[in-house]
Amino acid sequence: MTTTDKPTQENTLGSPSPDEPGAQTLTLSVGPQHSGSGHMRLIVELDGDIILNAQPDPGYVHRGIEKIIELRNIIRSIPVIERPSIIDASNLNHAWVRAIEELQGVEPPARGQYLRCLLNEMNRIMSHLYWLSIYGVFLGHTTMFMWPLGDRELFIDLAESLTGARITYSYLVPGGVRRDLPQGFAEEAIKRTEYFEKRLDEYENIFFKNPLFTSRAKGVGVLSRQKAIELGTTGPTLRGSGVDADLRKDEPYAAYGELDFKVHTRPDGDSYSRVMVHVDEMRESSQLIRQILKKLPSGPVRRKAPIVVPRGEAYGRVESARGECSFYMIGEGGDKPYRARYITGSYRNMAAISAVLEGVRLADMPTSWWSIDYWPVEADR
Amino acid sequence: MSAQKPVQSDDPIELLADSLNVWVGKLSDIVHKVIDTEPIRNVINWARMYSLWPVNITTACCSAEFGAASGARHDLERFGVLPYGSLRQSDLIVIEGTITKKMAKRLRMIYDQMAIPRYVIAMGDCAISGGLFHDSYSIVNGAHEFLPVDVYVPGCPPRPEALEHGIIMLQEKIRSSKVYPQS
Repeated sequence: MTTTDKPTQENTLGSPSPDEPGAQTLTLSVGPQHSGSGHMRLIVELDGDIILNAQPDPGYVHRGIEKIIELRNIIRSIPVIERPSIIDASNLNHAWVRAIEELQGVEPPARGQYLRCLLNEMNRIMSHLYWLSIYGVFLGHTTMFMWPLGDRELFIDLAESLTGARITYSYLVPGGVRRDLPQGFAEEAIKRTEYFEKRLDEYENIFFKNPLFTSRAKGVGVLSRQKAIELGTTGPTLRGSGVDADLRKDEPYAAYGELDFKVHTRPDGDSYSRVMVHVDEMRESSQLIRQILKKLPSGPVRRKAPIVVPRGEAYGRVESARGECSFYMIGEGGDKPYRARYITGSYRNMAAISAVLEGVRLADMPTSWWSIDYWPVEADR
Repeated sequence: MSAQKPVQSDDPIELLADSLNVWVGKLSDIVHKVIDTEPIRNVINWARMYSLWPVNITTACCSAEFGAASGARHDLERFGVLPYGSLRQSDLIVIEGTITKKMAKRLRMIYDQMAIPRYVIAMGDCAISGGLFHDSYSIVNGAHEFLPVDVYVPGCPPRPEALEHGIIMLQEKIRSSKVYPQS
């Protein structure tokens, strides 16, 4: 018998015929032990090296924070609230105190509001820098790993002198902030932000204009404006798709109503746009830090607030580094909330992972999905 | 029922192979003892101390401080520590924070796949005793429940300096350890 005419069932040795659906594809499990996955797993279906379908498998860091909040009083909850996004602690903390203050009817003094914004903006820069450094690693660009982490320490030092902790501040408490500015903080902060903006220009030359980055980010992982809105994404992911949405502008909280800043958007919706939105935001934040220090009113930083969650319901939301972070809180009159629902930016952006990765090459997978700025700890809570 | 005696084979080649096995075993014991003597052991431990390759596994939020420690200011690479992609060629797990029940299974799988000698650093209060999340329904209270831990680094999260100290402590431990560990 010759096999020249057509392949028979026998000579395929029991493997499915190439025409069958699923025969040409390969399913890969990426993570949690993988340099491009973080604390999560991606189940990727491949045709050749094109991704047909990618499903995130979250839950590796689910710590039941919503339940823990019900067991601690509102002050002892603050460190727990911060842990999901430890590199963006003060923004998450802000959502928590906003929900409590709405129930208590306490309005912090003006100086306290400004100091909150100050730490929030410093945290936004630190969070974006950490994200950028990991982005550099994913591209194999070790300089871009070292530089942002080194410049992040500038702001970590500032935050440490302000709050006493490197990254977990617990600085915002109901009624204001824990302490006032240390001596010489303003001059040091202005010096450092100006230096940082010069550094961003250097980043531009070594990385953002580098073909190593642009060729793997421009036109890759496109999330259209329509799709971004449909999926309910927030933060830089949404603004990278051309939607002008920023809670600091749309629903000004703390001192943001009195501050002058721009919301940066990019129309294309690809990895490059999302990266550049982060970069623009870092410039804007460092400008905001200087502005806050200039406009800083005098007076007390904290108003007395009871350790009590009055009966009622409240909803506190802020623009964190990764998008809208919100608390829905039900109080019973005790020192603990009856129930608190905690939604973070990464949790909402998780839906975009599949949409972004569809049709992308496997080699571009880490850079594409990391451009969403998905922090698994924050999404799992 | 009495225990069966092993059947002695009559085949001369098998007999020769058996006795050869015994002699190879004895010889390797002697070689192990020689290698474990002071000068050779010092050289091997010196090499192990300064080329620690942690696995790319992050369990929770202490990864931010591990990242900062690997970064420009603290630079763990000067202690010979650089995260590596393949767990078969790695010899260190830095457990970075809370271990959830879902992650604990994977951590144990990763530990079992790594080649001996392998070391474990439990970084952060959560990896030591559950820390801030000790009463949560979904976490394991401490890495010692399923892994042998060499060094504990307390803190929530530990500062990069603390992690560096932990790594130096691990290196001191390796310096005085045997070349052929029991596990």
